[in-house]
Amino acid sequence: MRIQLENFTKTFGTTNVIEDMSLDIASGEMLALLGPSGCGKSTTLFAICGIHKMDGGRLLFGERDVTTVPSQGRNVGVVFQNYALYPHMSIYENIAFPLKIRKQNKHDIDRKVSAIADLVHITELLDRKPAQLSGGQQQRVALARALVREPDVLLLDEPLANLDAKLRLEMRSEIRRIQQQTGITAILVTHDQVEAMSMCDRIAIMNKGSIVQLSEPRYMYDNPASAFVAGFMGNPPISFVEGVVEDSLVRLANSSITLPLPASIQIPNQGAPIKLGIRPEHFQPGQSASLPGKVSFIETQGREVLYDVTLENGAVLRSIQATSDILEIGSEVSWGLIQDKILAFGPEGERL
Amino acid sequence: MTSNFKSWPITIFLSILSLPIVVMFFYLILDTVTDTTGGSLIPDRLTLEHWRFLFETPATGRASIWKVTANTFIFACTTSATVVATSLTAGYALSRLNMPFRRFFLGGVLTLHAFPTITLIIAIFLMLQMTGLYNTLAGVILVKTALELPLGIWIMKGFYDTVPWEIEMAGLADGASRFTVWRKLVLPQVHPGMAALGLFSFLAAWSEFILPQVLAPDGASQVLATYMQNLIKDDVQPDFNMFKSVGLFYALPVLIIYLIFNQKLMNIYGGGSKG
Amino acid sequence: MRRAHLLGLGFMAPALLITGLFFLAPVILTAVFSFTSMSSGTGISGGAYSVSEQTIRELPERGFPQETADLLAKDVYRIDEAGLSDLSANFGEPFSKQVRKALSGKVFDGRKALVTEMKKLRERPRSVRQLKISADLFKRSILNIRFDSKAALLASVSDIGISLDASQQTILAETSYTGWSWTTDNYKLISSMPSAFRAAGNTFIYVTLTLSVSIGLGLLLALATFYLPKGQAAAFRAIWILPRILPPVIYVMMWKWLTWDTGFLSNFLLNFGITPRNWMLHSDINAWVCIVLINGFVGASLGMILFSSAMRAIPASMLHASEVDGANRRQQIWHIILPQLRWPILFTTAYSTLSLIASFDYIYLSTDGGPGRSTEVWALYAFHTALNNYGGALQYGLGAALALMLVIIGIGASLFYLRIFNFNELVAKPRIEQ
Repeated sequence: MRIQLENFTKTFGTTNVIEDMSLDIASGEMLALLGPSGCGKSTTLFAICGIHKMDGGRLLFGERDVTTVPSQGRNVGVVFQNYALYPHMSIYENIAFPLKIRKQNKHDIDRKVSAIADLVHITELLDRKPAQLSGGQQQRVALARALVREPDVLLLDEPLANLDAKLRLEMRSEIRRIQQQTGITAILVTHDQVEAMSMCDRIAIMNKGSIVQLSEPRYMYDNPASAFVAGFMGNPPISFVEGVVEDSLVRLANSSITLPLPASIQIPNQGAPIKLGIRPEHFQPGQSASLPGKVSFIETQGREVLYDVTLENGAVLRSIQATSDILEIGSEVSWGLIQDKILAFGPEGERL
Repeated sequence: MTSNFKSWPITIFLSILSLPIVVMFFYLILDTVTDTTGGSLIPDRLTLEHWRFLFETPATGRASIWKVTANTFIFACTTSATVVATSLTAGYALSRLNMPFRRFFLGGVLTLHAFPTITLIIAIFLMLQMTGLYNTLAGVILVKTALELPLGIWIMKGFYDTVPWEIEMAGLADGASRFTVWRKLVLPQVHPGMAALGLFSFLAAWSEFILPQVLAPDGASQVLATYMQNLIKDDVQPDFNMFKSVGLFYALPVLIIYLIFNQKLMNIYGGGSKG
Repeated sequence: MRRAHLLGLGFMAPALLITGLFFLAPVILTAVFSFTSMSSGTGISGGAYSVSEQTIRELPERGFPQETADLLAKDVYRIDEAGLSDLSANFGEPFSKQVRKALSGKVFDGRKALVTEMKKLRERPRSVRQLKISADLFKRSILNIRFDSKAALLASVSDIGISLDASQQTILAETSYTGWSWTTDNYKLISSMPSAFRAAGNTFIYVTLTLSVSIGLGLLLALATFYLPKGQAAAFRAIWILPRILPPVIYVMMWKWLTWDTGFLSNFLLNFGITPRNWMLHSDINAWVCIVLINGFVGASLGMILFSSAMRAIPASMLHASEVDGANRRQQIWHIILPQLRWPILFTTAYSTLSLIASFDYIYLSTDGGPGRSTEVWALYAFHTALNNYGGALQYGLGAALALMLVIIGIGASLFYLRIFNFNELVAKPRIEQ
């Protein structure tokens, strides 16, 4: 089902948390609300499921205006960060709860619960209590409970935050599989860009109560709308260096180093301050436009190695390379940049 | 709270439910400074008449209110101090120290904590008679302390339990003795607990009625609770305005302490379980 | 023993001393006293021997010869040294000497016989009135005299010229003993007294009703304030905490004012033409309603605090989840909140039951068991019997026996609670071993 949020405004006390935000989610799409904590992504989610009132704007589920409808009447499924399973009920009762509340008959409940349990692979757990389950299993139960009522939209609030690294990987693909199998419209709230990129069709990245960019993951990674988005997307993160425009080059602050500008952009005025974003995978040996520096930090990650290289003006660039002969701290290197991949930003962080 | 439920029906319901208490309390305060003609609910005039008990020399056979107040303060403060001091050491021992009979002591404290102490009043009365502590403030203080102690120890133990073990382990590793660790490192961590327990015991003693009534009924060791009850008992035609003035005077420390330390006390009421 | 052990025991010592003296000793003494006949009549220290009119009446019932008992009650006139020296002091040496010479050692049944004998003496006082007064100096009786020992009592008996055989001596000594003695009569009495059964019944009604009000109202308040905005919730909680924190004397005084025949309720209902009355003591039902409300409000205060803090421990997301799952307020309370309050409710019920069984202060202050004895619960009954009996002697022994029942229930229940509330978890071993 298509979900539309129009001119949504939310205030707590006197502070505006969200101002005039609009969002259009296509039917069957999985959208990520990505952002740092306090950016308003959870507030948006709570407004969509009706736990928070909207102070302005409209919310449409398909053609139906649900702006003032309480949670109970909205038909949304929510998976909370801590799963919020009811500790005194068995897994079966947990999943059956939304149906029982709707006074469905026993036979239907039975059928639906076992179907959904089958879908999320927890059939053998139905008799247990939540406390007897591992984090990943609880997560599956929470999903089952959210899906069993066949909701118009599935809301996932940081669903992977409480899992350990290995389970997180597993559940990432599981959630995506289940979402695609059911064809449900889903919204994922997360602060982890890897999660957002790997699970969702589109990402809405939020900062300070508004959406900064809304696009497909790959596009957003390659074409961030601002320095904020560029900094948020990618792990290990992008490095920024500051400088001024001289001819069609950028001279780095307090140094004689000059870097080329990406070909695609319009060259700004002479002497304008500029910020260049360079991703670790674009700062490599054997490229043109080489930059001399000293290796100041090495982080071994197994298949890859991450180097911090300090330039002569003190700026630091990161480079990620396949593990071969490992350099030592203090080694002098002269690596180069892949020119088309350099991202240029204006003084306010806007993309040039 | 969520926006899914309306709260005004609850507000109305609770307001009606609370009416008896609000009325009683409202008139408790109002009636101390007003006069009302019989049969009416609305007072006619303001007066300070009902507070004259504070300044008048008392009728023969009745103690002065100030003497009684002093007694009550001595009773409440001494009880509170003794309970806190004793609970501080015993609570620590039960929470943190290895010792013989530890399980037995813990079980004992827990059992006594649930035990309805008032059933012992007859035996205590006879004991005090035999030992000559009957009709003395000291006797009442000792008994009240003993009866408050199990709860006090249990609460203090609870506060000690929340102090991280690592603090003590670090202290020991730094070469301090167990005693020094307790005095210098652990004790400062339980200051809030001390304060809360002190207030709680003070209030409990301040409000205590049965013990002074039975164990020290005579004038010299009278406290406000028994003073007030005698006032009510003796009057054939009750002067509620005067009772309320004395009552408000008596309740004032309780209300003030409660207003200031509301949250601290709630924690103890929550932790303690005596009805 | 290791040093740490000594430190631990040293830290425990003051607490052990105080609780031992004023807690454990009373428990044991309650049991001890319950097997005695102590009362304000017998006193609590050892007793004495004293023959009273009551003793004389009781003696024949115990197989003591009636005539001898009557003799004990009679005055006799015995010419002894004490009487003679009194006589010489009041009526002069010569008369005293003559009496000694003529009558020394003799015993007379009545004054008349003695006066007749005295009239034969030359130095006697001239007026008959004076003669009678002088004769009275020899009047001897054992009635209502305290003797410190059995021997002293028996010596005085033989002094007045009554000789008793051994069994009669024992009966006399036992009957005339005024101190307390060991007995199991208290228990026989309790099992046969209708008033004890009524007190037990009253206690049952009292505990059941008060508990329902405390827990029910406490839950209602906790739930209601849970759904209110912060400020309002705090205000209502502050109102409802008053019964618990106000000193009982004041709290009950407020209720008395509310229900008095010149109080609020009467004055208020007067507007509707209802005659003023004492709403607390007007009838048994009124008294019961008052007592249950007075105690129930206090219990509800505590329940509200305990349940509120237990509710705050429920994660908000769980409540949100249930709302999203479609639960309305009633369903949320019933399916989500109440099941998670099971333990706090059970806990509060258990402890309140125990303290209600034993408590009597609010009843004592409000109805004092009245009207009649219709609201006298067991604990108040024990208190009245032993410590607050206007009608007669204070029966410490009987009171202790009544209290002992409560002490036994108290200890039994406490130990039981200890078991169900998972004692072993509470006594985890210290993590530092020195």
